[in-house]
Amino acid sequence: MVSDSIINASIPNVSKDFGKKKRANRSAKLKQCKLDARREQWLSQVKNKNCKEEMNVPVVVSSGGGGGGQFNGPVIETRKKVAKCCNDLKVQSPRVEEINHHDSDSESSPSNSPTSSISRENDSGTTYTGSSSSSTSSFSSRGGCFSGSISEEEDGNGDEDEDDGCLDDWEAAADALVGAPDANQGHYQNANLFPERETTVGLSSGAQHPSCENVDAQVEILKSDRVGILGRGSENGRAWRPDDAFRPQSLPNLEKQRSFPSGAERLQGFTNPWGRNTTPRVPTSCPICCEDLDLTDSSFLPCPCGFHLCLFCHKRILEADARCPGCRKEYASEPLEKEASVSGGSLTIRLARSCSMSCSRV
Amino acid sequence: MQASRARLFKEYKEVQREKTADPDITLVCDDTNIFKWTALIKGPSETPYDGGVFQLAFAVPEQYPLQPPQVRFLTKIFHPNVHFKTGEICLDILKNAWSPAWTLQSVCRAIIALMAHPEPDSPLNCDSGNLLRSGDVRGFNSMAKMYTRLAAMPKKG
Repeated sequence: MVSDSIINASIPNVSKDFGKKKRANRSAKLKQCKLDARREQWLSQVKNKNCKEEMNVPVVVSSGGGGGGQFNGPVIETRKKVAKCCNDLKVQSPRVEEINHHDSDSESSPSNSPTSSISRENDSGTTYTGSSSSSTSSFSSRGGCFSGSISEEEDGNGDEDEDDGCLDDWEAAADALVGAPDANQGHYQNANLFPERETTVGLSSGAQHPSCENVDAQVEILKSDRVGILGRGSENGRAWRPDDAFRPQSLPNLEKQRSFPSGAERLQGFTNPWGRNTTPRVPTSCPICCEDLDLTDSSFLPCPCGFHLCLFCHKRILEADARCPGCRKEYASEPLEKEASVSGGSLTIRLARSCSMSCSRV
Repeated sequence: MQASRARLFKEYKEVQREKTADPDITLVCDDTNIFKWTALIKGPSETPYDGGVFQLAFAVPEQYPLQPPQVRFLTKIFHPNVHFKTGEICLDILKNAWSPAWTLQSVCRAIIALMAHPEPDSPLNCDSGNLLRSGDVRGFNSMAKMYTRLAAMPKKG
């Protein structure tokens, strides 16, 4: 809610005190890691629609258009509201701002957003520079807004009343945000989202000098950054797998998420960190006799404590005191007979192999 | 027979590789017999054995690691669970609580832990055990410290 209030306070003087707002937004962002998760998903989702329009960014006006293009659905909806006030091109960027507020503030202050958008519309209408920068700043202000309203689950319902286009987007946001605190505990968050922060700086630095001469170069930077974001985003943009047992029930339905662009590959890529965490560690050699464990041995778990050993050593232990070396509990008696007969078959083979190996060593 | 040899060879390589891992333990294998090992362990701090270096002799049976190694102190030590004359050690993991998952290195660690936490209720050294059982910790400490200085520290001069 801190960042929420910051943004609300800075709304009236967007064009005047723009740099200050940027800095406030950035600090709020740095405080909260989960924003990065949301941004990552948002950018990767938006990338497909947006990449063509980014070619036009050197022309300052169309930068606002590019921002508006990211929300094709909501733009149409909100255009009706704003149409009576403005009909020219300048409207595009305030529209983006307004959409952002629909997304973020709809729950806390739904009546705020039209007013604020109108006031900013006048501001940004004066200069193209102001409009372009404010539209670009919506990247970070969006991030800031969302951090404020993570906890409220009803946000999605509030959005439904206003425009359906936002709902899809919001569901993705809720998905990423609710998942992000959980992912914070995992190592993948630190590993993969940290570079994301650097690209954020790159984005905003590009946005702070819209009047710079080599806008093309900046656009190149922007584009390369976004490509990087997309690459990473496609790996772990999704915070929950649809079949995840720990997925909170309060999250929106899964069918919609599957229909998202590039949802399939994100889904696929995201299984990796989970798979890595759950893979049990199997030693490569028997801890008792130090011979290599073959496939049968490594899948052989005679004790519930999970102590791995080769069949040969297991047989020898059964003949001796029949206790697990790991936990010193006695091996269960009925698999004892079965295992003894099974390992009896492989016993001769293993014996011969171990003999030959140690003979060559001696 | 050969399994114990392979296992000891692996342990030897492990000891060579991680020589600096545990500065309190130095494990040395006999040059000609891999079943004979000696170990030098430092007396744990805040005990009467602090500052002393104690030598252990390992005799590894051919059934190792299914059978525990036989360990005894070569250095004289005044400890309730160590025989004063033979250096025999009364430690459950060297008897019935042995597990094949233990190594010579971990046995050394267990012996250091035993030095820091004597069990006077199953004594091999009755004098030492009686001192502790009667509550004469000061008497036990001074006796143990004296023998540490006599046997486990380098002679002065």
